Amino acid sequence: MNNLKKMVAALLVFSSTALPISAHAQSQSPVSLSGDVMAVETTVDAQGNESTQLVEPNVIVPGDRLVFGTDYANDGTEPVDNFVVTNPLPSAVRLAPDADAELTVSVDGGDSWGTLSTLSITNEDGTTRTAAHADVTHVRWTLASIAPGESGRLEYPAIIR
Amino acid sequence: MDTQIIKQSLFATSVVALFTLSAPALADGVGAGTLIENTATATYEDGEGPQTVDSNTVVVRVDELIDVTVTSLDSGPIGVQSGEAVLTYELTNQGNGPEAYELTANPAVAGNDFDTTVVNIAVDTNGNGTYDPGVDEILTAPETTQLLDADEVLRVFVIVTVPTGVTDGRASDVELLAEAVTGTGAPGTVFAGRGVDGGDAIVGATGADDSAVGTLIVGITSVDLTKSVSVTDPFGGTNAVPGSVATFTIVANVAGSGSVDDLVVTDAIPEGTTYVDGTLTLDSVDLTDASGDDAGEASDTDGISVDLGTVAGGTVHSITFDVTVD
Repeated sequence: MNNLKKMVAALLVFSSTALPISAHAQSQSPVSLSGDVMAVETTVDAQGNESTQLVEPNVIVPGDRLVFGTDYANDGTEPVDNFVVTNPLPSAVRLAPDADAELTVSVDGGDSWGTLSTLSITNEDGTTRTAAHADVTHVRWTLASIAPGESGRLEYPAIIR
Repeated sequence: MDTQIIKQSLFATSVVALFTLSAPALADGVGAGTLIENTATATYEDGEGPQTVDSNTVVVRVDELIDVTVTSLDSGPIGVQSGEAVLTYELTNQGNGPEAYELTANPAVAGNDFDTTVVNIAVDTNGNGTYDPGVDEILTAPETTQLLDADEVLRVFVIVTVPTGVTDGRASDVELLAEAVTGTGAPGTVFAGRGVDGGDAIVGATGADDSAVGTLIVGITSVDLTKSVSVTDPFGGTNAVPGSVATFTIVANVAGSGSVDDLVVTDAIPEGTTYVDGTLTLDSVDLTDASGDDAGEASDTDGISVDLGTVAGGTVHSITFDVTVD
């Protein structure tokens, strides 16, 4: 009986993590995506001028700035069209206020999209307010086409809640 | 040098995600140990139709921020006399992870008129805001709190002894210092591997320590009664002869910085005299002779009695009544 339970548990683990399928798809794709994250470190020099550097996020705490980046490349021989990169924001971060105002975002889990200034949030009492950076749930970039051999980088800045 | 960027296969990171979904959202800052995971997904069309591709998932772990604040919960100086006194403080874990704090009570603050002796540091175990001997846990040296969760608040009592011989109005401060057990230092100081789940701990804006001062003030109150008499005889003089009226004045002078409770002034009618009905006054206001209707009562047999109740230091009350000489 105990052995049976263990087997069932093992099967559940496998079924809930059946992601090797998408990894398999990735290996076939002419397009590759590579994500990274860096921390933004602000230093002040002797003259009081602030400067920022991107560093490995070795020590990060609430309030720190991160930059999430995704490198893309078309390694195939044919162009690809309607290239759309969607990036859900981790719940522990909010979009930084200095993010590109033209960035296409969603504040409702990816149902509707637009620049932040065009989106609104419905309060519990039915009233609406303008959406804020902290409301952003997803960011999205759209490229009409990527030529063979073409590559690029997409980034968004975030602050740890 | 421990690197917390974890670039792993999708398979491994998705297993991690199963365990982090239920991480509680804190009001102030995400909790230490929270994993921040980011994955981008691209869709596009090639010659074979719509395609989808995921990026690798990048994972960073939020480190532990150590911060603490201590405040005095006493609204003002506590009036004390020689003996035991209790000061109340509140300690808040302003960090984002569980942390314990070592407490130090300093009774010898610069500028003190006198110094107390610290007896104990106790925590408000039953949470009622009042020190309950035998109920509230007394910390043993080194006085260290339990692990407090992020944003958790702990009320702490410092029990001190006020020495004998202190004089009225003198003040004494008692400082309570809380220092994070993990460590303290300048903001930004890193304690590698000392945070939640083996992450780093980093000192926040408070320096991971804080202190607050509570104040005691000696309130010794004294009551001084002064009785005087003026006599008017039937002939316009001041001789005490039969028929003379004697007006007694009792001045109650309450001195000191504290107050006295249930102060009742009584006086007997002297032998050979008779109380003049309806002559009892308090601060020039007439009182009735009957009991129960105001602060005073008077009769020839029982004398006079005036209930002044609670009287603050620095107050003077004046009571008068008349008698006739038999």
